Order: sequence, then C-alpha cells, then structure tokens
Amino acid sequence: MMGKLLRVELMKIRRKGFWFLTFLGPIGVVALQVVNYSVRWDYLRTLSDDHWLFYLENVSGFTPLALVLGIAILTSFMASIENETNAWKQLLALPVRKTSVYLAKFTVLSGLLFLASVLLCLATLVYGLTLDFGGGVPIIELLEYSFYPFFAALPILALQLWVAMVSENQGWPITVGVLNVILTYSAFSLPDWAFWKWPTLLNSWEEPMYSGLMGLGVGLVIYMVGMMDFVRRDVK
Amino acid sequence: MGLEVIEVEYIVETKNLTKKFGKETAVEGLNMKIPRGEIYGFLGPNGAGKTTTIRMLLGLMKPTSGSVHVFGKDLKRDKLNILRKVGSLVENPSYYPHLTAYENLEAMRKIVGCEKARIHEVLEIVGLTHAAHKKVKGFSLGMRQRLGIAQALLNRPELLILDEPTNGLDPSGIIEVRNLIRSLPRQYGMTVLISSHLLSEIEQVATTVGIVSKGKLIYQDSIESLRRHSQHHIAFRVSHGERAWRSLMAAGIKTQFQGDLVTLSDQTDDATVATAVRALVQDQIAVYRVEEERRTLEEIFLQMTTKERAV
Repeated sequence: MMGKLLRVELMKIRRKGFWFLTFLGPIGVVALQVVNYSVRWDYLRTLSDDHWLFYLENVSGFTPLALVLGIAILTSFMASIENETNAWKQLLALPVRKTSVYLAKFTVLSGLLFLASVLLCLATLVYGLTLDFGGGVPIIELLEYSFYPFFAALPILALQLWVAMVSENQGWPITVGVLNVILTYSAFSLPDWAFWKWPTLLNSWEEPMYSGLMGLGVGLVIYMVGMMDFVRRDVK
Repeated sequence: MGLEVIEVEYIVETKNLTKKFGKETAVEGLNMKIPRGEIYGFLGPNGAGKTTTIRMLLGLMKPTSGSVHVFGKDLKRDKLNILRKVGSLVENPSYYPHLTAYENLEAMRKIVGCEKARIHEVLEIVGLTHAAHKKVKGFSLGMRQRLGIAQALLNRPELLILDEPTNGLDPSGIIEVRNLIRSLPRQYGMTVLISSHLLSEIEQVATTVGIVSKGKLIYQDSIESLRRHSQHHIAFRVSHGERAWRSLMAAGIKTQFQGDLVTLSDQTDDATVATAVRALVQDQIAVYRVEEERRTLEEIFLQMTTKERAV
C-alpha cells in the first residue's frame, strides 16, 4: 500500500513548484558563497589557513535557515494539496490507512529534503573545486556539513507536518513556520536542548554528529505523536 | 463455499448511532437500514445530521456510541475491506485543481486498483470525455460535480453514497444524473444512498426514504408511504368560514376551518372538490379562492415531529 500511496503523492506534487524549490534551496545557499568568494576572495584568504574547511563553514552558515524555510514552505504546499478542496474526505474514504497516508506525506517531504541535501553536497563540492584551495577535499567534513543538518532538522519537519495536517485554520502552520525560522535564526543564543539549534550542528560537545543523532531520535518521536493525533481526529 | 453466499439483508445497518461534538448532539440514536438494491433517499433540512451520518458510514468520523455495519460487517473492524466496495461523494466534490480530470481519476485509480480503461468508462458515463485532459481548476461547478460522481463510480462500488449529488447542476444535468442513479441498481446491482434537503429531488429517484431531523431519524419507510404523507390539500377562501364548514359537513365532506379559510385534506379528488364548491354555492357562501396546496417537506417534518412528541 505504501508504494501506491507514494506514487500518488508524487503525482499530486506535479506542477506545484516542489521540484523547483528543492533545487532552489541548495543552489541558493552555494550561490551566496559564489558572491562572497568572487567579491572578497583575497580578504577571505587571510582569515584561515585551512581554506576548504573555512569554505564549508561559510556554506553551512546558511544551510539551517534554508532548510527550515524549505520545510515550512514545502510542508504547507503539501498540506494545501488536500486542504484546498478538502480532499481529505475523498482520500480517506478510500481503502487506505490513515497512518499510511501520513507516512507517505512525511516520506515525500523528507525525500525532497534529502535530495536537496545531496544537491547541496554536490554544489558545494563543485564550486569549491573551482576555487583552487589547494590540498585535498575534506570528504568527511563535506558529507557532515551536507547531511547532518538534514537529520538535525527532522524534529522541525515532524512538528511542522503535524500542525499542517491537523489544522483547519492554515494560519497555525504559518505561525509555526515563522516561529521555526526565527528560532533557527537565533540558534546561537539557544540552549543545547532546543532543537532549532541542532541544524547549525553547534553543541557544547563540539561533535556535529550528536546534533544529527538527536534530530533523528526526537524527530521520530514527534513524528509518532503527530501521526497518532492525525489518526485519532475526525476527518475535516 | 456455501458460507460465502450468505445473503445480507441490509447493506447498511446502524444501531443507535450517536455523534456528539462537545455538548452538542449532531446525530442521536440513529437506526438506519438500507436493503440491498434500494435507492435510499436520505432527507433532512440543512444541519439535521445527514452529512455527519454519512461521514460515520465512511469511517471518516468515529461515532460517540452505537455501531455501523456495512455489507453485514462491522465498520470498526473491517473498514478497509468495506471501503474497497464503497464509492462516495461527500458534500462538495473534492479534487486536485492543478491536475487534469484524467490525472485526478488516475491518482484515485492507483489506490483502488482498477484497470486504466475504467477511467475512460466513468468519464463517458458522466459526460466529461471531452474535458478529460483539462485542468479541473477551469471546470464549472456542474463539471466538478460530474467529476465527483465519476470518482465515486471508479471502483465499481456495491454501495454508492452520494451527498447532494445534483448540487450546482443545470436542469438537463440534473435529469441526466437522476437517470444515471435510477439505472445503477438495475444495471450494476448497486445499492445507493442519496441525500438531499429537497423532497422533490428524492421522490423522483428513491425507493426507500429516511427522514432525519435534529439528528434523529424520524421516518424510515418506502417512498409510497411517504407519498401518502405528502398529499396535497385544497384550501377554500370563503365569506363565512364556520358556515362553510357546517355546510360541507352536511354534504358529507370533512374539512377544517380557521377564520375564513376552509381546508380539505383527506379527499382531494376532482369530484369531491366539485361537490364541495356546489354545496357552498347552493348555501349562498361566497367563494373567493380555491387553491391547491402541496405540503412542503418542512410541513411534513413539522407534522412528524409533533406526532413524535405526542406519542
């Protein structure tokens, strides 16, 4: 049943701008560095000895914000597919489990975000290679900076999807989306337990992997709670 | 395999079905019975609980208490198996406006798993073949309604649930849909539940009628028995109400009077009316108006609910 539902979800996101946004996010983040490095490469060169690592840190400065913005926009698009003409009653009167429908939505969204992470990784690598930093490419760090933020942002995705799927008033998901972006923007002043800080991969252990692991764990918990709430509720 | 051909008497049967929203009771103790092959007209004014009931039949809402059996199976336990054989159109049609009519049906087909040719079949049935590859965004209300009906028919349901299916259709569309609904039990052995707030809509297609008012099922019987309830009556506006009443009584015609209005309700055939007019004229009572009044659904409701209170 999941295979069928996934194919249907992929069909429904046609012509809605999902793919465009998925490409825009990572390319936008790297494009900011294209501007940064073409304008003041001579100055940036003086700030650090390890040019590759410094470049990766620069890129990842914008990753969390792009990711959380992407989550807010894609999730609200996703929920609007059904909310627009209240197609929930149509979809859920078919022989499908509500848990499967919820999982299909989550899978498509996280799939798109993962694809965005892959694109981020590739775009970062390609532009980095053109800059002629010297030395080898720090593959491990490149992968860490590209994919840990994705896992670290799963709690935000799970929360955003939950609110979007159960709200009759679409003002709520927008409010939550704006709050998520603001909190992620001010991540530096947040304590370690606040999951909006995690996509920045900063924590007091100075171990980016912890941010990713916590994101995966807490994301799954929020996902489960949201799914149970969605199943429990009457269809709008 | 003898066990599998147990004839189910009722396709839909609810027992004391109740739904409360907070303190408000939307549906109360509803016992609905829909026999196989019938077109069940589900009548009631707006807000009487029709849509809430239909949502519970489809498992979209959980009853506060009571049970729903469809095809003789408990909806709570066998929901997916039941829904495989049910087609529905609830309230306004739902669709994905950015997709074409064909894509909308294809998205549904992937889930219900019928063959692709069926999409063309249902588009043909509702007369949308020409618009199959247009985005639904640009459809008129009537075309969207047709698409909704096509979606409901896609999985060749054994039970078809249509909530206000003629909404937004033009007169010729209404007639087409009416003929379509009428043909379904005969041609495909379907059982149909159709809801409406208009008696005229229901009485032309339904074979069984259920009337719901304020969440309670106040009437459930064949259409013939309902017709007897909705008999029209004849009102005479005359110069002297009471004298007219006496003179008609003397002529053997039972009436009621109120002020200068005398109402004839039991026998309204032409002969009786002619006799009544003759009697009034002979007794020198001036007759200003003779009017036929068909009782509206609201009046039948009123009569039925007051009757219920008296019992």
